Amino acid sequence: MPFQLPPFAHRVFRYRSTRITSEGLQFLIFTLAIGIAAINTGNNLFYLLLSMMLSLILVSGIAAEYCLRRLELRRHVPDLLFLNTPVTSVLAIKNLKPRLTSFSLTLCDVSADQTIFPNVEIHSLPPGASRLLSYPLTPTRRGRWRLSGIRISTEFPFGLFTKRAFYPMEDTLVVCPEIRPIYEGLLRGLFAAGYEQTVHRRGHGSDLYNLRLYQAGDDSRSIHWPTTARTSQLTIRETEAEAQRRAIIHVPTSVPASHDAPFERAVSLAASLVQHLIHHGYSIQLRVGSDRSSFGQGEAHRLELLRMLALCQRDAPREESMRQDEWPDGHSDLEGDGTAIVVQAWCDSGDGKTEFPRVLIDGELIPGAAHAT
Amino acid sequence: MPLNQALHLTSMLLASASFIGLTLGAGLPEWLAALTGATLIAVLLRNIGVKSVEQFATQMPVSTIGWNLIVLGGFLGFWIDLLWVSGELLPAGLHFLMVLMVIKLFNLRLRRDYLHLYAISLVAILASGSLTTDLWFVPIFSVYLLAGVWTLLLFQLTKSSEVGGNVGVALSMRQESHEGHDRVSPRLFWTANGLALGAFLITVVIFFTIPRVSAGIYQKGFGENLRTSGFSDTVNLGAIGSIKRDPSVVMRVELPKSPRHDARPLYIRGVSFDRYDGKVWTNQLSYRRSLIEESSGTFAFRRKRVASGVELGEAIQQKILLEPLDTPVLFAAPFIERVSGAFPSLFFDGTGAVYLPFPSSSRIEYTVLSRSNTLVPADLGPEPGPYPEWVLRQYLQLSFQSDRINTLAGEVTQRQRNPYEKAAAIQTHLTRNYRYSLDAPLAAQDQPLEEFLFSRKTGYCEHYATAMVIMLRTLGIPARLVTGFLATEWNDYGNYYVVRQQDAHAWVEVYLPHSGWIGMDPTPTEDNPGAGGPVWRVLAPLVDNIKLQWNRLFVQYSAADQLAVVRELKAEGVSVRNKALDSMTALFGTFMAVLSGILTPDMSQVRIGLLGEVIGFAMMSLVVLFWLARKRPWVTWRFWRKACSNELVIAHLYRRMRTYLAGQGLSRSAAIAPLELVKITQARWREAHAAVASITELYCRTRFGHIPLTQKDMKHAEDQLRGLLELRRPSQ
Repeated sequence: MPFQLPPFAHRVFRYRSTRITSEGLQFLIFTLAIGIAAINTGNNLFYLLLSMMLSLILVSGIAAEYCLRRLELRRHVPDLLFLNTPVTSVLAIKNLKPRLTSFSLTLCDVSADQTIFPNVEIHSLPPGASRLLSYPLTPTRRGRWRLSGIRISTEFPFGLFTKRAFYPMEDTLVVCPEIRPIYEGLLRGLFAAGYEQTVHRRGHGSDLYNLRLYQAGDDSRSIHWPTTARTSQLTIRETEAEAQRRAIIHVPTSVPASHDAPFERAVSLAASLVQHLIHHGYSIQLRVGSDRSSFGQGEAHRLELLRMLALCQRDAPREESMRQDEWPDGHSDLEGDGTAIVVQAWCDSGDGKTEFPRVLIDGELIPGAAHAT
Repeated sequence: MPLNQALHLTSMLLASASFIGLTLGAGLPEWLAALTGATLIAVLLRNIGVKSVEQFATQMPVSTIGWNLIVLGGFLGFWIDLLWVSGELLPAGLHFLMVLMVIKLFNLRLRRDYLHLYAISLVAILASGSLTTDLWFVPIFSVYLLAGVWTLLLFQLTKSSEVGGNVGVALSMRQESHEGHDRVSPRLFWTANGLALGAFLITVVIFFTIPRVSAGIYQKGFGENLRTSGFSDTVNLGAIGSIKRDPSVVMRVELPKSPRHDARPLYIRGVSFDRYDGKVWTNQLSYRRSLIEESSGTFAFRRKRVASGVELGEAIQQKILLEPLDTPVLFAAPFIERVSGAFPSLFFDGTGAVYLPFPSSSRIEYTVLSRSNTLVPADLGPEPGPYPEWVLRQYLQLSFQSDRINTLAGEVTQRQRNPYEKAAAIQTHLTRNYRYSLDAPLAAQDQPLEEFLFSRKTGYCEHYATAMVIMLRTLGIPARLVTGFLATEWNDYGNYYVVRQQDAHAWVEVYLPHSGWIGMDPTPTEDNPGAGGPVWRVLAPLVDNIKLQWNRLFVQYSAADQLAVVRELKAEGVSVRNKALDSMTALFGTFMAVLSGILTPDMSQVRIGLLGEVIGFAMMSLVVLFWLARKRPWVTWRFWRKACSNELVIAHLYRRMRTYLAGQGLSRSAAIAPLELVKITQARWREAHAAVASITELYCRTRFGHIPLTQKDMKHAEDQLRGLLELRRPSQ
């Protein structure tokens, strides 16, 4: 059975740390000098001054400890995070102490790998009071992002030491790939491929599909003013989908370790495509390595696909994984018609040293498509 | 008050405390003290916002280079001071320190400058501590500590403000408006004072517990020694008169084993003299030998002072705190038997005086056991017996002859039969027929003793004692003059004698064949009303006692005192244990008696005590454990604390609810009971009924049922109240 520290010792040694400040260093040097003078001379008034200095150090530790004790923290982070995109995190802090104010608190988020996120300062937190603190949080890595807790530090009362307390607060966030604007050539390629799959249904086209009464939430720009004027009722003009398009986005994950950066770009490009295509009414299926989603549309489907992309991992190219990554047999695997988009970070047969992913639409390489990402 | 302004003020207070301490301790030159004081006042006025001072400061543009040049000038001045003016490192260094403080006070712009000022003030208060041990250091130190705590606190708080305001927005963000937080709030005020009080108490604790190590190579005393007179080997007649008007405290004498009501005047012996040449007393037996050290720090006489079989006199135990004097004489009541103190060695001369190796430059504390000689009845008979030869040789010397004195001595003692009665007659004659006066410059006279005895008939102790010694010697009675102090000032607050320079005294020791040296004092009582007004006469003993305690507890506190405290605590512990064991033995006495009958006699003799201890301890432990397990006081305590906290919170919420309902036209009367209020709400304001009922139920449960609330309950109550506060009662 592993040895476990008792709760008090655990709190002291695991969740507390102290660092000396530059002023504190000078203070300690003076204390040492006075101590030497006291021993050297035997002068009791020197001992009195030495005691004063030591008591200030002691009081400093006790007061700092009381500042950091009995604080209640709650963190609120948005559900969806994107790589390198700052989001506003909100921290609620409450002083549970019945009488003592906490002064000069500095708070920061600590991730599992001990990365520190921006400091937030509070001048004072009276007993029983609470504060809402907001600060930008910028994820720097795609995937699961584990925040281990909040670190609170204070230099109160004398600025001699920085005492830190760690409040464990596990939070696992999913960081989606970065969404970037898509290269115009790629958009053109998608546009051309989509014309072949028109379906008569409501969509984002320009031809009239239907007129109906206005409902709350409808875009006011879609109001059909002539009919509205004639009938004296707000009427919405629905347009016919120009093309009901289906697309399969395939991201091979068999990529050697040397192509980690291109793989991340490929994932980012795939996420950007998902975002763009779903926004334009595409029904999308995503294939990441051996994983595949169903065809779907809408916000929930978008989030599901982004989550898949957020959590996908690069695999070292092995025969089995490469076989899984291969496009099954041309277009025969497609459930009905649709555009096949392959975002490759690495090509076994091609130039393996490329820094940017390659995009193939229906087997046709879109030159320079990835440069926009 | 804004934090920055408060920081400035406390910094000034810190600097002022150290400056005053240094001025009182070191006696800075007037010009430097005035300059520093004026600078402090000017900077303080500028901080308060006096415009004229601000204008003056703005019209004095000195660049950083200029200030550096001024510091260099000050450093040059330090060398000049060291080499030509003061000639010593310490005064020159202190003068330079004050110059630096003045420069820094004029140049307080950056936070670094403040740190420099604090460092200077710390060195100044340190120097002050090295130069004094007086009581005034206590208030200075206290003010310094208070100002120090405030200054460091404000320095830290203003640092946070600056960091939050200036440095990297990306790295550090202040989430509050500075408005309202950049001022000294009441909460901050009490926090700072509480910290100062805590620091003060911890300082005292650390001071007494920190181990005293005297391993120094630079140990010196404090200030100059008191100048005394009359305690060297050669003393002019009237020398003591020069110090008889000086009220400086020379020593304090405690009598640990004497009750308070026994505080009669105490003679404290210094040295004695055997030869008088008409103007000068000399100690011809001044050859000093080492006292034998019985144990560490304890020295004792091992000489046979009186004949065997003679009853020993009264033993007087004294604890003496002696100020630094310019004489190595160790004062104590006559006659010293044993001395204990932190002395490397002690010496004594042929007259029984005890000496330090050299005059002490600091206060010393020592304990003395003295024993005076008692008057033996054999000396009161007509034939007291022969004197030892060494006494006759040494203490009957008469370097000058005076027929008038011989005649006077004969006339005064013509009816007495033995030496003691004669001595007593002379003492009575001098006491009754002569007047005490310090205005008697007899030293300039050719024959000062005759002038005293026959012309002026006024003088002070030396004249009386000299006259008696000479008169006794003319009668063939060995006698000698003794100088020391006559302690009469008893301090009721501390139960000790305060001995001052003005208590310096001279008296006579007469040698009697069987009794030995007997002290006699021919000086009449001095009519001294005492200095100061009536209030001061009441307060003076109190102040002096505080000074004594300060000296004893702080200035003189040593490793030996720490050991004594440890021994005392240990002894107390043993005493408590013994008492407990006694109680246990009495408690289990019957049981032990039965047990001793079962056991063999030797077993019961040897082990019974130990067995009683073990069983008693075990049973006591069991009782305590049983009580703890049954009562579980920690649970009660935690529960009580939690319950109290919950009760307060829910009561607060309930009060807010009632206030709000009263504002909405419900329950204006405080006489409405909680459940009654719920019914009223149900009838008159149905929307609010659920919230009111819920809060009231929780309130009643905690307030009257003493059932603790959970966090969930508390949150629920808060939510209900929040919801209630958002409701508005429709107008009727």
